[in-house]
Amino acid sequence: MKTTANETELRDALKRCPPQTIEAAVAYRQNKDWELVPTIVLGIIERFVEPEVRPTVRENNDSTRLFEDLGIDSLLMVEIIMLVEETLDISIENEELRGLRTLGDIKSYLDCKIRGLPLPQKQKSLGFEEIAAVMPQQHPFLFLQESRLNHDYAEGSYRINGDEAFLEGHFKDNPIFPASIMLEALGQLAVLFLLRGQNEMLQEQVDPGRIFFFGCDGVRCHRVCRPGDFLHLKVKLKKVHPPLAFFEGSIQCNGERVAFAEEIALTFATTAPAAVDEKIHGSNGTHLP
Amino acid sequence: MRNVVVTGLGFASCLGLNQSEVVSRLKESRHGIQRYEPFLKRECGVRVGAPIPGFDTTAEDPEDWVYPEGLKLRLDVLRGLPPHGVYGFYALSQALEDAGLARDQVNDPRTGLYTASAGSPSRMYYNLDRMIRFGPQRCSPLGIVASIAGTLTFNLAAAYKIKGSTSGFVSACASSGHALGAARDEIALGRQDRILVVGAEDFSVETILPFVSMRVLSPSDDPDTASRPFDRDRDGFVGTGGAVAMILEAEEIAEARGTTPYTRFSGWGQASDGFHVAASHPDGDGLARAMQNALDATAIEPGAVGYINAHATSTPVGDISELRAIKRVFGAHQTPAVSSTKALTGHALSLSSIMESAFCNLAMRHGFLPGSAHISHLDFEAEGVDIVHESVSRRVETMMSNSSGFGGANVVLVFQQPG
Repeated sequence: MKTTANETELRDALKRCPPQTIEAAVAYRQNKDWELVPTIVLGIIERFVEPEVRPTVRENNDSTRLFEDLGIDSLLMVEIIMLVEETLDISIENEELRGLRTLGDIKSYLDCKIRGLPLPQKQKSLGFEEIAAVMPQQHPFLFLQESRLNHDYAEGSYRINGDEAFLEGHFKDNPIFPASIMLEALGQLAVLFLLRGQNEMLQEQVDPGRIFFFGCDGVRCHRVCRPGDFLHLKVKLKKVHPPLAFFEGSIQCNGERVAFAEEIALTFATTAPAAVDEKIHGSNGTHLP
Repeated sequence: MRNVVVTGLGFASCLGLNQSEVVSRLKESRHGIQRYEPFLKRECGVRVGAPIPGFDTTAEDPEDWVYPEGLKLRLDVLRGLPPHGVYGFYALSQALEDAGLARDQVNDPRTGLYTASAGSPSRMYYNLDRMIRFGPQRCSPLGIVASIAGTLTFNLAAAYKIKGSTSGFVSACASSGHALGAARDEIALGRQDRILVVGAEDFSVETILPFVSMRVLSPSDDPDTASRPFDRDRDGFVGTGGAVAMILEAEEIAEARGTTPYTRFSGWGQASDGFHVAASHPDGDGLARAMQNALDATAIEPGAVGYINAHATSTPVGDISELRAIKRVFGAHQTPAVSSTKALTGHALSLSSIMESAFCNLAMRHGFLPGSAHISHLDFEAEGVDIVHESVSRRVETMMSNSSGFGGANVVLVFQQPG
């Protein structure tokens, strides 16, 4: 009897969710099959967002951003979380919610939570002002508008405005974002990671004035990008051998592969007195400590 | 001091959702009162009410509410709204369209928003009940902004991106009169060019039935006669709700953009009874002084007032106070034409003052006086007061709208033909 009453209550709470979500939730109550969780959570999100963005939720793309793409603000997030808590019979602390920015974040967070795995490392989000405050590159040569730093990777984005000066000539009457600048953007994201990331391989504070490009390998470009395109950048830290740090980089746009670099290597110096960059850039007197 | 004019009206009222319907129902004395199922179910001795056609906000979940198709509300807005917020959005959108105001004029820092509502007892009850039963963690995060007095201001100001003065007024049945008066002064003083004024009240069991224990609601079972201000046998008021929006603008601003105002909002007066928490002063002392203050403020001779839209709610005591107040200010047998449109609408509480002011604006533009319907036997106290029983075609230069609220607050607003 109790189960039936609970099920009725559950179905009522989820009545505006898609049918498969309701069935998944009912089944989850019985079998605790964590593979049902994404269906449940996506359906709950779909129920709360405006009708025009529901198709985006259904695409189930991990990189879909909660606020920018789905219009989920902090209050709406609370409503979603309340229904998730009620449905999955779990409790979520406000503290744990911060840093969840994409559908993928929510899914991996809940996955860990339900399976009792350690929660994903909290990521650090940086807005444009914060990025501009720490980066050696500045306007008009800063190709990073916001960024999220995780334990061993960083994500960021850049929207091609169309008013970048070089687009006037690259190419004349046919503005295409240069591949070299894409590589630069990935390099900048890697610089940001070196400056603000928290990884045990980076023990000492990196000096923002002494990070330089060292080399890259295995670079492929798959499509061109034009004004209005939104570049999703990602760099993953592969290894650190001071004074070098090695990353893998990739760029996506609208879910399509844009560019990939097997390896991007940067040289860096820490703020502790050292002579690393002298070795690499021996004759460059302006950067001597 | 700048002149202030009325340039737009919007209605979500028991008399209809658009001006032409409201006008024809006022002219033809067709009321909006009916036997109301949610009241009947409670078996509390109150059977009739005046719901707002096209709206059904009885469901617990706002996403189940019914409202006119043309009204588009985002889901996250809807979940933070009380019933009167939905009416308010409807009325304001109509009024802005009527005034011909574009988005950028609404978003101008010289445009403000004043509202009047008592908050939402039904949303307050629903949200607190959930908090007590399931714990604070399970409350809707929008529960507070949907429930407390001020909800109408928060919601409309955010959705319409108002950048000028915003505020809400709470003086029970005088609330929207205070909102109008304060808005008028703000514009007259040059602090704002335009203020959107919205009065609204939930029509719900939770808003109306608490009046049962005060013994002020009509127990009548007959919608056609239940509300009958100034009738000898009146037995209480009939509850209604809804929303009315009125756009006030500086006359020069309205002129510059080529609109034809309904009226000039010439001024207003207020005074309090200093008497009782709920009952009006038996001789209408505060209301009489409020009328006198309104005349003084506008420098209008009593004889120049052509019509008074009375507050009269159809309660035995209140109507008498008002008749005495009118006679004291204007003199017996020298009063303007007087009627109470609450015979048609019932009493809309916080909304009533702006709703009745809007009726005055329609009557001024269309050249008629709305009648005081449902009077079979005129109360003897009305002797010497020119009560208009049926609507008549008559163009008057000056109208007054009276309102009184709990605590003895009285507000009197004066409208004149535009200059």
